[in-house]
Amino acid sequence: MTQLRRSLTVAMAIARKDAISELRGRQAAGSTLFFAALVLLLFGFALGPDAERLAQAAPGLLWLAIVFGGLITVARLHQLEAEDGALEQLALYPVDRRAIYAGKALAGAAAMLVLGGLLVPAAGILYGIPIGAAWVPLLTAVVLGAIGFAAVGTAYAGLTVRMRAREVLLPLLLLPIVAPLLLAAVKASSAVLAGDPLGEAGSWLQLLAAFDVIMLVVGAGTYGFLLEE
Amino acid sequence: MKTRILGWAALVAVVAAAVNGLFVVPADLNQGDAQRIMYVHVASAWLAYASFGVTALAGIGYLVRRDLRLDAIALAGAEVGVMFTAFTIWGGMMWGKPVWGVFWQWEDPRLTTTALLLALYIGYLLLRRLTDDPHRRAARAAVVGLIAAVDIPIVHFSVLWWRGLHQGPTIGDPSKLLHPSAPLLFVLALLAMVGAFTLTWAYLLIRRYQLARLEWQREEEARLSRIVAARRAAPPPLVGNVEEPAR
Amino acid sequence: MTDVGFVIAGYGVILGGIGLYALLLARRLRAARDAVGAPTDADPPANDAPA
Repeated sequence: MTQLRRSLTVAMAIARKDAISELRGRQAAGSTLFFAALVLLLFGFALGPDAERLAQAAPGLLWLAIVFGGLITVARLHQLEAEDGALEQLALYPVDRRAIYAGKALAGAAAMLVLGGLLVPAAGILYGIPIGAAWVPLLTAVVLGAIGFAAVGTAYAGLTVRMRAREVLLPLLLLPIVAPLLLAAVKASSAVLAGDPLGEAGSWLQLLAAFDVIMLVVGAGTYGFLLEE
Repeated sequence: MKTRILGWAALVAVVAAAVNGLFVVPADLNQGDAQRIMYVHVASAWLAYASFGVTALAGIGYLVRRDLRLDAIALAGAEVGVMFTAFTIWGGMMWGKPVWGVFWQWEDPRLTTTALLLALYIGYLLLRRLTDDPHRRAARAAVVGLIAAVDIPIVHFSVLWWRGLHQGPTIGDPSKLLHPSAPLLFVLALLAMVGAFTLTWAYLLIRRYQLARLEWQREEEARLSRIVAARRAAPPPLVGNVEEPAR
Repeated sequence: MTDVGFVIAGYGVILGGIGLYALLLARRLRAARDAVGAPTDADPPANDAPA
């Protein structure tokens, strides 16, 4: 049992360390949020000014902005350590690799949760969609989406962090994988925003949850092989 | 030697199945001649997914055993797979235009899932190309192959549910061939093509694997030569003994 | 384009592509077999001086 407690301690320590560097290096996290909001704005220019068309497209645009912001976020969470050579040191610690993965994925999910949580009202304002009572299931979708994206994103970020052309390789690898996450999150979001007439939101959220579990398991299982290099 | 026989057998089988599909089997009542494309489209799809399975499994094998031969199998699977995937999409488009009237249908799970499969394959091959160290390359590729393989069924189901909310295409459902009510002649033609393609696939896989191993051997030779040459140019200093160095 | 055109395009590209790939592999295999064991650029120049 102590092995499990030790792993948990390590995971929390890493998550806390990443969270602190996110908060301290406020420019980076803030810039990411600003970039994602900019994406929302630009979509308005690209698809507007017809309010009805924007309102219909809103869930998709919102999630695209979250995904783009997420790409930058997961990359950044690995980059700091890679630049300092801390990643190699981390790999030398005699600790369960899955704990390291869990800590980083947790930090990534938390960062994306903040990102998504702030983008939802922004999208509500920009695209004129009343959120009202739907904010609970909407937030659920954001939580599940953040976890899923961070689960795969952390693994792929760890994989690409020391590679040349990583700026293009990370999105190239990650975006096809999160296509079902994007699909499910958008369907769930648009359903709850419309009052869920077909009762489908639950199914989509379940799909999201399944994606999360699967990717967390696979990510944890393979992360160790990526550190070992 | 056996591979060569396999190759010729595959060639004969493909020609026979193609002649059958194009000329012998009658045209479909609804879809007309366009339905003939289904034979190569479905056969390609079958092998596209089978290749991915090979790549993913060989990758796991590498992570367990660290044997680079398994990585060579994974590479062969990926390269052959990306080709069959491209063919699947091409076939789907060539069938879709006459039957649906459009080249692309978002609601067809096979087409959209296969498009994503193509993206995954390309990412995989690009990743390999950007890594020089053989073992690092094999490990990274294995992880990507595994995650992608796990993702494919999720994609398929999500697109299937996606479609379920709309009226699916009623005329010209590509999976009609797999229906129990499909005419026997069509099913046999499809099976013949699948069999022929499978032989071809096996042959190409073996050849690509052989090539991968030869190329790795060459890589190793070049690497060792460089080390030897570097040593000759700057021989490590002799300790203690004040003997003249060899050159 | 008539239906037949699409069928020809479909079969042509797919079967032709397989054939091209097979030929390409054969050529690369031949080149690789010749290259293995051949001297690389890093090898020292062979000693040509008469004994």
